[in-house]
Amino acid sequence: MSKSSYLGADTIALHSGYQPESDHGSRAVPIYQTTSYVFDSVDEASALFNVEQGGHIYSRITNPTVAVLEQRLAALEGGAGAICTASGMSALFVSFFSLCSAGDHIVSAAQIYGSTVTLLKHSLKRFNIDCTFVDINDQQALGAAIQDNTKLVFCESIGNPGLAVSNLPAIAKTAHAQGIPLVVDATFATPYLNNPIEHGADVVVHSVTKWIGGHGVAVGGVVIDGGNFDWLKSGRFPTLTQPYEPFHGMNFWEEFGPAALAMRIRCESMRDIGAAMTPHNAFLLLQGLETLNLRMQQHVSNAQAMVTWLQTQDAVAWVNHPDINAEAHTKALFPKGAGSMLTFGVKGGRDAGAAFINALQLSSNLANVGDSRTLVLHPGSTTHSRLSEHDLIAAGIGADLIRVSVGIETLKDIQADFSLGLRAAAKILAQQAEA
Amino acid sequence: MYIQVDNANTFIATGGKPFAAHLPTVVLLHGSGTDHRCWALQARWFAFHGYSVFAPDFPAHSLSEGEALTSIELMAAWLVRALDTTKVDKVHLVGHSQGFLVALEAAGLLGDRLKSVTALATASAIPVNPALVEMAQSNPKVAAEMMLQWGFGSPHQYGASSVPGMQPIGIGTRIMANNPLAIDLIACNAYEKGAEKARQLANIGCPSCVILAAQDRMTPKKEGFKLALDLNTAAQVIADSGHMLPMEAPKESLNLMKKFIQSLET
Repeated sequence: MSKSSYLGADTIALHSGYQPESDHGSRAVPIYQTTSYVFDSVDEASALFNVEQGGHIYSRITNPTVAVLEQRLAALEGGAGAICTASGMSALFVSFFSLCSAGDHIVSAAQIYGSTVTLLKHSLKRFNIDCTFVDINDQQALGAAIQDNTKLVFCESIGNPGLAVSNLPAIAKTAHAQGIPLVVDATFATPYLNNPIEHGADVVVHSVTKWIGGHGVAVGGVVIDGGNFDWLKSGRFPTLTQPYEPFHGMNFWEEFGPAALAMRIRCESMRDIGAAMTPHNAFLLLQGLETLNLRMQQHVSNAQAMVTWLQTQDAVAWVNHPDINAEAHTKALFPKGAGSMLTFGVKGGRDAGAAFINALQLSSNLANVGDSRTLVLHPGSTTHSRLSEHDLIAAGIGADLIRVSVGIETLKDIQADFSLGLRAAAKILAQQAEA
Repeated sequence: MYIQVDNANTFIATGGKPFAAHLPTVVLLHGSGTDHRCWALQARWFAFHGYSVFAPDFPAHSLSEGEALTSIELMAAWLVRALDTTKVDKVHLVGHSQGFLVALEAAGLLGDRLKSVTALATASAIPVNPALVEMAQSNPKVAAEMMLQWGFGSPHQYGASSVPGMQPIGIGTRIMANNPLAIDLIACNAYEKGAEKARQLANIGCPSCVILAAQDRMTPKKEGFKLALDLNTAAQVIADSGHMLPMEAPKESLNLMKKFIQSLET
């Protein structure tokens, strides 16, 4: 796979996209807290609006602080360009919006984040964009689901919350054989653990809110254009290969080639939808990104230790993490470990699980993942509560499932906290037995 | 637009507006292994400011079909045949790196159809390290990466981009890795008539403009100054840019290009 930077990942995370500016020499990336930018002249304004020169017009479209984060994430993932958005969901939406039109079709992994299911199954359907959900690692089913009007295959590199690892090279091969790009939500993996473009993905999306930020103080998303997909040869993408009337008939593929999708999102979605990341959020997310690689090492080592520890606890019914009995593709795609998410069930089902969560003192019961702090959630009651029973099963979500985003606290403190929860769960189990 | 040259489908970027042969025409010639997209922003400016743009992908490059041309002389002759299909009369030739060698060679073929020449990050001769040629033959992708690591100046090595959010190194490697880089490099290396052609242009009073990059390690600016001397013009140097000047400093290079070409059209 072609490089996007000659720097190492640790250096990219700290330096890429910004060198101290000449006016004041600010070592940190400044927050350009401005809505708009003064033009040198009417001619310059005209050139900026007509994409005759690069630069900033209005912070809904681009912003210098946001651009640093974009360029840093594009370099980390090995992409041709990146567009940051207000959230991970808006990053997904602008990706689908830029590739699909009314009458088109998407094939998606069944085991994905609940809000993404809602987007694909209900919201996009209102615009006559249909979706077929499949077991994404069943290549026969995937190939059979692709239709003449299919515009993309979508999966999460590690599914939320079922934690199934998508076999990216195999999925990409199946999709590419039919001229379809692969869009991957790599939020659970982060660029530290896996770079999907290296394994055949064409577009990578992250909720930057999660591990990339790590601090849990800013919401954001990013779309990274892998730059390797031949949109013209595919013959399925008029949004990229036909003249775009609002920009004087601009043909994104002809004019920008490997960055065609990124430029389309910039020119259309950011203008028309306006799901822009704020400069302050970009600044906060940059602070997190600087230490992503270091944090991920502790996230993964704590998660692996917690898996081992939970497997020895009497009150625990089952534990799931992609590294347990890992399949060959999981080992190949995640040599540093398959992330810091785990799921487990306590004996006693949903009520015992609720008791577990309610008894915790250190860990936080909330609807987020990837914070540096340990987070727990019962997806069946919250993030995935709008799914039908059938969809819950397809997504790998049982009634007793507890989702844990293992943080980077001292391991023994997480274990002590979980011991409180497990004792509470055991009491419920005992009560159930007495009843 | 697509035209037929030597029975091959050939892509000519026109900067986002239809080509109109009656307008002053700016011909933008790409360098080794690249394509019309290195001129993406400059092409749009000329096209929307009263010029026609003719920025070809040379045969077998990116959107153009056909066999790759093996010498600068063949590329120049091909360019003239391509221009002839459009009925365009007079042209300004602008070339980046190898593209300017083609411009020098094509100048003699165009005769009084030539209005001016503009050189960007180039020299009258471009010797190529044999190790790079060998790598381009055996592993074009690695060669493209080697070349761009050498080709981009330090700001871009640190992820700078004139277009917010884009990764010029990532874009460049993807374009180069799929184009006949080795054939281009061999053609560059073999071309030895550049200085002579430049002096001939100076002798006939052809207006010329030389734009160099301060951090150019592929065609060091001292070689660019020699070219300017042969063309009997002054070289202008853009700071903080390497050899990939049209992509690294599109605004700065456009400002110099348009100032020069506009001065000849008013």
